[in-house]
Order: sequence, then C-alpha cells, then structure tokens
Amino acid sequence: MDLSLVAWFVFLSPLIGFPLSYFAGLYRKNLSGLIASGSIAISLLLSLILYLGYTAPVHSSINWFYSFNYGVFIDPLSIAMVLMVSFVSLMIHLFAMYYMGKDPNRHVYFAETSLFTAGMLGLVLSSNLLEFFLFWEIVGLCSYLLIGFWFFKPNAASAAKKAFIVTRIGDMLFIIGLAILYSSLVAFYPDPLNIQYLITHASLVLAAIGSAKLTLVVLLFLGGAIGKSSQFPLHVWIPDAMEGPTTVSALIHAATMVTAGIYLIARLYPLYYMSGTDTLYLLAILGSFTAIFAGMIGLVVNDIKRILAYSTISQLGYMMAALGLFAVLQGSAVGFSMYHLFVHAFFKAMLFMSAGVILLAMMDLRDVRKMGGLWTRMPMTVSIMFIGSLTLAAIYPTAGYFSKDSIISASYLYMTSASQWYYALPWIFLTIGSFLTAAYTFRMFFLVALGKPRSELAAHAKDPSIYALLPLIALAVLSLTYGLFQNDFLTFLGGSYTITVPPYIEYLPIILAAIAIVVTFFIYSGSRWERMNLAKSRLYSVVKNKFYLDKLYTDVIAERVILPLSSSFASIEEDYNSGIERIGRGSLDFGTFLRKLQSGVVESYFTLIILASAVVFIIAIVLGVF
Amino acid sequence: MLLLYLYISLFVLTVGTFFGGKYAKPYALIVTGLYFLIFLIYFISKFYTLNGVFNSMQSIPISSYYGFDFSLQLSGFSALLVLLSVAVTFIAVYISGTRYGKVFFGLEMLTMAGLVGLLLSANVLFFYIFWEVVLIPVYLLIGVFGKKNADSISLKFFVYTHIGSVLMLLSFFSLYTYQYENTGTFTMSISALLTPSLINSMPVFWRGFVFFGLFVAFLVKLPTFPLHSWLPDSYESAPYPVTIILAGALSIMGGFGLFGIMLPVISVVPASFSTVLIILGIVSLIYFSLAAMSQPSMKRMMAYASAAAMGFVTISFGTSALEIQNSVYSANYILDVTGGMYQILVHGLIMAFIFASLYYISRSTGKEMIGSLGGIFREAPILSAFLLAALLASLGLPGMAGFVAEFSVLAGIFPEVGMWIMLIIFAMLITASYHIWMAQRTLFGPYNENLGNISDSTPGSSVILTIIMMAIIILGVFPHYAFQLLSSYASGVI
Repeated sequence: MDLSLVAWFVFLSPLIGFPLSYFAGLYRKNLSGLIASGSIAISLLLSLILYLGYTAPVHSSINWFYSFNYGVFIDPLSIAMVLMVSFVSLMIHLFAMYYMGKDPNRHVYFAETSLFTAGMLGLVLSSNLLEFFLFWEIVGLCSYLLIGFWFFKPNAASAAKKAFIVTRIGDMLFIIGLAILYSSLVAFYPDPLNIQYLITHASLVLAAIGSAKLTLVVLLFLGGAIGKSSQFPLHVWIPDAMEGPTTVSALIHAATMVTAGIYLIARLYPLYYMSGTDTLYLLAILGSFTAIFAGMIGLVVNDIKRILAYSTISQLGYMMAALGLFAVLQGSAVGFSMYHLFVHAFFKAMLFMSAGVILLAMMDLRDVRKMGGLWTRMPMTVSIMFIGSLTLAAIYPTAGYFSKDSIISASYLYMTSASQWYYALPWIFLTIGSFLTAAYTFRMFFLVALGKPRSELAAHAKDPSIYALLPLIALAVLSLTYGLFQNDFLTFLGGSYTITVPPYIEYLPIILAAIAIVVTFFIYSGSRWERMNLAKSRLYSVVKNKFYLDKLYTDVIAERVILPLSSSFASIEEDYNSGIERIGRGSLDFGTFLRKLQSGVVESYFTLIILASAVVFIIAIVLGVF
Repeated sequence: MLLLYLYISLFVLTVGTFFGGKYAKPYALIVTGLYFLIFLIYFISKFYTLNGVFNSMQSIPISSYYGFDFSLQLSGFSALLVLLSVAVTFIAVYISGTRYGKVFFGLEMLTMAGLVGLLLSANVLFFYIFWEVVLIPVYLLIGVFGKKNADSISLKFFVYTHIGSVLMLLSFFSLYTYQYENTGTFTMSISALLTPSLINSMPVFWRGFVFFGLFVAFLVKLPTFPLHSWLPDSYESAPYPVTIILAGALSIMGGFGLFGIMLPVISVVPASFSTVLIILGIVSLIYFSLAAMSQPSMKRMMAYASAAAMGFVTISFGTSALEIQNSVYSANYILDVTGGMYQILVHGLIMAFIFASLYYISRSTGKEMIGSLGGIFREAPILSAFLLAALLASLGLPGMAGFVAEFSVLAGIFPEVGMWIMLIIFAMLITASYHIWMAQRTLFGPYNENLGNISDSTPGSSVILTIIMMAIIILGVFPHYAFQLLSSYASGVI
C-alpha cells in the first residue's frame, strides 16, 4: 500500500470527524464523543500501519499556490510523533467522554478536540514549512477556543486571549523566519520551504544563504518554538490556560500542542547544527534555565493544575536543553529530546487526568491546601497520581528516570567537552532542576494524598468507576514500563548513543530527588507546613509573584505602553480628523460654496461635477499647450 | 463584443431598479445573482487556462480623431474584482431591509454598475467617468440614509475623493498630450497611455506630476495615511449595507488603480515615490492598528482594521517597484505583486463578512458599542461564532484567505525592506491583539443582562454568512486558481 496515502488519512480522519461529531452532537450529544474518539482510533490504526510498513522516507507533495507545496513527509521522527499524538489523544478522548459527560456543550468540545487532533497530526506530517505553519496556527486556534470553552467565566475568556496573543508573538517571529528563508533561498531552489530538502541539504542551504542569515532564520524559528512550547520568557500563557477543561490541559497544554515547538526544532535539526555552536548553546541554556525557573515557581503555587502547568514548562525546558547538546550527542540529541517528550506526554496526560478526577470530586476547587487525605478516599485515582509523580520525579525504574537522567548526564559531558565556564551552566541548572521537580511534585502529591481532609468536599470524595480510569491505567503502565524501550526508540530515530559518566554524576539527580521527597514528606505529609510562615521572606514573595514577569507584561507593557500608545494615537487621529474638517469649513468662500452642496438637491451635485470636470479639462489643455 | 453587451445590459437593468417599486429588493437580488453567474461563466471561459493577461478589447467609437471611444478590456485581475464587486453588492442588497425603499436599492446597484464599468474600462476618460459615477451614489447613500452628521460626513467623503480624482484626470491629460506630441495621434486607451516608453519620454517634472496625481487619487481611495480621514466617519455613519459596499467593493478602487492601471509602468516609478509608498504603507499599518485598538465602537474599530489591511497593498506596490528596478530575482517580486492583488481581493470579502456579521449582531442586540455588549455567546452562539470567524479572518489566521495574501507580501518584500519587516510584524501583533480583545469583551465573559433577550441568527442570515465564510476559507485553503490567475497577470504585464 502507498504509505503517503495512509499518511494523508492519518490527519484527514479526525478532520472529517470534526464536522461529523458537531452535527451528530446536535441530535444526540453522547454520539459526538464516540465519533471523535472513533476518528482518532482510525488515526492510531493508520499510524501503526505507517510504523509497520515504514522502509524509507516518503515525501509526496502537491502544488498549493505559487511555489508553495503541501503534502506529507514520512520519516521515523514523524511516524514516532503521530503514534504518540494519536495514542495520547485517543486516551484523553476516551477519558473526556466521562469527564465532559455532563457538559451541555460537549458536542462543541469534541468537535474542537478532533479538529485539534487533526491539526496536530497534520503538523507532524507536513512536508512543507508553510503547511506546517498552517497547522501550527490551527492547533493554536483550537487551544484558544478550548481554553475559552467555558466562555462565561471571565478568567477563561481572558486566559484565552492571553494564550492567543502571547503565542502570536512567537508565531509572528516564525512567519518572518519563513519569509526570510523563502526570499533568500528561492533563487537557489524553487521550493525553498520543502522540509525534506532543508534537512537533507542543510549544508547547501548554509552555503546558499550564508551563516548570518541562516542563524537569523533558525533563531526566528526558535522564537516560534518559544511561544508554542512556552519557554522563558513567553511561558506566561500556560498557567493561565489551566482555566480550560482539565482534559484540554492534558491534551493540548501537556501532551501534544506545547511539544510542537520542540518538534519544530527537532524537525529542522540539521539547520540548527549547521548554524553554529552558539545557536545550540542558546538552546541548551534557554531550556535549562526554563527548567529551573519554572520549577521554582512550581514550588510555591497552590493551584493543583498550575503546579502541573509549571512542571510542564520545566519539563519542556529539559527537552529544549537536550536539543542543545549536539556537541555530545550529535544527531541523536533529537532522539533524547523526543524520548523525554514521549515519556512526558504519557505521564503528564495521566497526571492531568487524575487531577481532573480529583477536581470533579472537589467541585473544581483547585487549591491543594483544601485537599488532603485523598489517598484513602480515592485509592485508585491517587495511586495513579502517585505513579505519575514518581515518573515526573524520575525515580528508578520509571520511564522518567531513563528519559530525564540521560539528558542530565549528557549535559555533564557537554560541560566537560568545553573549557569555558558557562558550558557548566546547563548541567548545574538541570541538576538543580531535578531536585526542584521532585520537590514540587511531591509537595503537591503529599498535600493531596496524605494528612487529614481539609474541606468537606475532600472528606466525601470518592473514586469514579474503573471504566473511567482505564485510559489512565493504560498510561500508567506505559509510564512504568516505557523505560525498557529507550534503546529501541533511539535506534528507530536514527542512532542510539550510550552515555558514560562517573557513577556519582549518574546517581546525583536521583539522590537529590530522594532528598527532596524526604524533605517534602517531612513538611507536607502532616500539618507542619501550616505553621511555616514564608510570607516574610523576600525570595518567597519574588517567586510567588512569578518573578514579576506576568506583571511586567500586563501591568507595564500592555497597560503602560501599548494601551496609552493606542489611546494617544486614537486622540491624534481625532484631532487630525477635526482639523481636516476645520480646513474644509474654515475658509469662508469655499466653505459656503461647499455648504450649498448639502442642500440635498441632486441636480446641484451633477452641476458641480460637470463644472469641475470642465475646469479640470481646461486646465489640462492649458497645461498640455506648454 | 459579448463583454460590451453584457455590461450595457447590466447598466440598463441597474437603472431599472429605480422603477422597481416594492419589488426593488428581489429585483436587485436577481440581477446581481444572475450577473454574478453570467460573469463567472464568461470569465471561466476566458481564463480557464489561468493566463491572466489582458485578452480582449471591445469598443464603440465615439470620436475616433480624439481617441475617445467606449471600450472595454479584461484581465485576470479585473475579472476577479468584477466578481467580487457583484458578490459584495449581492450581500449588501441581501441584508438591506426593504424599508429603505427603491431609491436605496437603485443607488446600491448604480454603485456596482459604476464599479464594474471602472474595472472593465479601457479608456482613461471613461475610467474617470466611472470613478465619479461610483462616487455620487455612495455620496447620496451616506448623506441621505446615514446616521448622525451624515451631511458633513458624506460631503467629506465626496470632497476627499474628488480632489484625488481631479489630480488623476490631470495626470491622464498630461499623458494624453505627451502621447499626441510623440506620435501625432490622439488616443485615450489606458494600455497606450500607461507605457514605460511614453513616461520615459516625458520631462522629469511631468513624469513626477503624472505619478503624483495618480498616486494621490489611488491612495485616497485605499486609503493610506494621511489621506484617510474620510474613511472612519463614512464607514461608521453609513447604514450597514452601505458600509459593506464601501469596505467590500469600493475599497478595491485604489488597489485596482495601483495594480490594474499602473502595473505596466511599475518599472519606471521613481524610486523616491516607491520609498514614500513603503513608508506610508508601514505607517498606515501601525497607525491604523493602534488607533483601532482604542475605538469604543465595533464598527469604527473595523473601519480602521480595513484601512490597516490596505497598508499591505501600498507596501507591496512600493517594494515590488523597487525590486523590479533593482532586478531582484523575479520569483520574489511576482510573489510580492500577486500578494498585494490577492490582498485587495480577499480584503473585500473579509470586510463584507465582518460588517455583515456586525450588522446581524447590532440588529439582534440593538448595540454596536463594545462596552454595551458582553458574553453574547451564551444567547446567540451561532451569530457569535460567525463574528469570531470574521475576526479571525481579518487578523490573518492561516486557513483563511487573508493569510495567503499577507504571507505572500511578507515573503515578497523582504529583499527590499530588510529588518524593517519587524515594524510590520509589530502592527500584525497589534492587529491580532485588538481583534481578540474585542472578541473577549463582546462575545465571551459573563452575559450582559442589560441586553435582555436577544435572538440568534435566522436561517436567512446563517445562509449568507456561511457562504461568505466558505468563500474565504476556500480562497485560504485552495488559493491556487485565483493566485495563479493573478500571478500570470502580473508576470505578463511586468
């Protein structure tokens, strides 16, 4: 069978499911979830066919407009990614049939999530960067719509706006990158945005457009990735995006869409390493800084979903940092990054969904300080959450250990590979990050699971039926066992790489994580934390205010710069308009003459026109004589 | 001669609207709908090879010595714009209430007839006459049917455009006389007057004069900063159907002037003029976007959005002129020019979509101030979804037609503007922000209970809005045919 045809239907199936589930939902609401899940199950099946039938990269494209083409590009990276996206999306859709089961607008929800899945699969399979950008914006649109799904909540409406505008900043940088790449390369190759050409002929691209321009282009693409994958300093939208339904957070803001930025860099990786070591160092330092930065904020947030959101930002930082370690890992940096992306998608989707179950019981009260003692009341859910927390904290032998610690070890080698001091920063940041990860994860977990219930709702919480939890259990099994497949995964993506570091380096992150767990257990399992008074500490208040970055954006840039600028432009505009009117009326003779026009008599208008044309005609003839 | 007969019959039928009595609206709908189909079939028969260069010249001589004849010509670009004008007029007529009476419909139809004549005209004098023919009915529509201050606003609209058209006429006559001096025969044909060789034969001053006159006339109609102050008032004061005609159909006049009339001489546009055009375009984008953000009225905000979007057209023309003269690789400037033309085309559709959905929202809520709406998604989900789609189209979301145009312009202009492109990006960000902000304040959030019960979209309004939306999406997802028609026109003419 022709693989490219299969690939087309991987994303066409949920795209067809999008209107179907909406219109079916108008008649029977419950049907829409089934149709959406079914269409994604087909995608998963077709992705498996792609995986099993894959022999060599396939690139098939059709002319879209001008010299831009669209089509599908199948290679190990895209196959792996479609498998993950369709699988996780299917799990989340199945869970959403339970989670969104009572919402009056669930047909809209399922229509939008199938459109989202179609967009994500299309993005992964794109053969052309412009097509990639089209899907990139479709998933962004779905994210906007789904964050604002409960549109009547003012918070949700403003979070949706924030997500759209902040990611739009990245998107605009991306589009400029595309424009520059196109206009500089078109003289050398007629289809310059063709992904396969760009990655197989990266050195030709470098020769054609020069190192400076290539660096500019990949940095602009990085800007897009920073917006989409919420890296510092454009990470501010994800925590607010938690206003959407929890399944949306699991699907879009944890497992799939936010990884699109990482995928973009992985997709175009040859361009990145062609552009020089500075670009790669930027990836490493940006990712590792984001990892520690978001981890610190995660420690002081009390909203269960926001803790997970900051954790997502931090883990995306690990993936970004892994991509910067080209000096050590060579091409398999992509494999290490993608492997963590996969493991993260599994356990983070699971964590979000178990948080969703808890939030159903808690009537959407998201403050972890109001929970407590849930392990005895919701044993199934909280045990799943426990597995997720262990994986997130990268405790042996969960998959998180294999994916994250190999990145940290690689960053150690990266430090030793160069003599400059600043090459040590990624390793230091990532190692501290592993301590922070365990600390914020288990702070959340102990507050949720242990101690006494601190609210009526928590005291009466109950597990849902086992069927609702089946998707979570499937993901939990994967989180526990996926570590076994690390080598197969890396080999499939092209070349495994064995990292050998001294044992004390290898075990350092896990020891730090264990210390963090013990410390948080000591503080948060009982009620000791209630007696801690951190409010006086200056560091605490800086972190609690998210390093004042959100304030800088909304209070300073938006409200003190853009809005005043806009209102001053609007008043200039008004003055200008009235000035023009004054000129029109001010000059007396001309003015009275013009005012006669307002008599409303049609004849006078025509007379005026004819007179004017005659005058003009005469002037023209006079001018023509000269 | 078919095109000539088609046009004359359209004009006669248009005048018939004035005698339509209470059947004026269905009559106008049938005529526009029918002519849309006829034109569509005719154009497909002409352009099925997607070769968009001028291909027919049909004329009735009036005074052959002075080169004055009624002649029509057709290019891929003007064909698409003719379809757009007829379609937009159909939309405007469709949403006009019958209470406006036969004169209103007659004037709407007359605007369309003038516009189609302008697009098809092959003779500078008739081009000018149609330019005025379009002006008068719109002046009356705003002045008679508009809201507050309609008199002075319509006068401002009239005077503004008129200054431009006088300068345009002067330019045409200087071309006319120099053509006579060069060859000894009179001709008024656009294709004979606007040639690089004729312009090169003129003294420097007159060359500048010709370009100055033409640019002022066309930039007023686009509009470009600082020649825009007729626009927000006219758009806001005019009744919605007229706003649709203004924003959807009339806004193509300036762009058609640039790309339909001046494209053959783009290679001899003085570099200083091109630079000024680029600067004005970028300033327009930023200025109108920032001014739009603070507008309290949805209609006025979208008026500025419309003006800002036309900034792309100006930039596209200016940069491609420079690129052609600096012999940049041809794929760049053809993309640039085509993007500008595509922007003119889709901007009309998008604005028709925006103002049509705003019309239905204001009809159902009675409000058009942003502050007096809020959360209407709860009561009118379908209408709100249409407005949201229109806003997304207007901010240039990929998948909608506006993106194809904006991306083509962006990719085309880079060789000339370099990193100044960041200013355009800033403006696009502002554009996205105020569109989304408006959606948040009007559609989402808690329902403004002061609005009472409001009705959702009726089947009639859903149908017309769906058709416009589908057209925008089709032009955004499958732009190939329209784009190919425009790009082959561009490469054929340059």
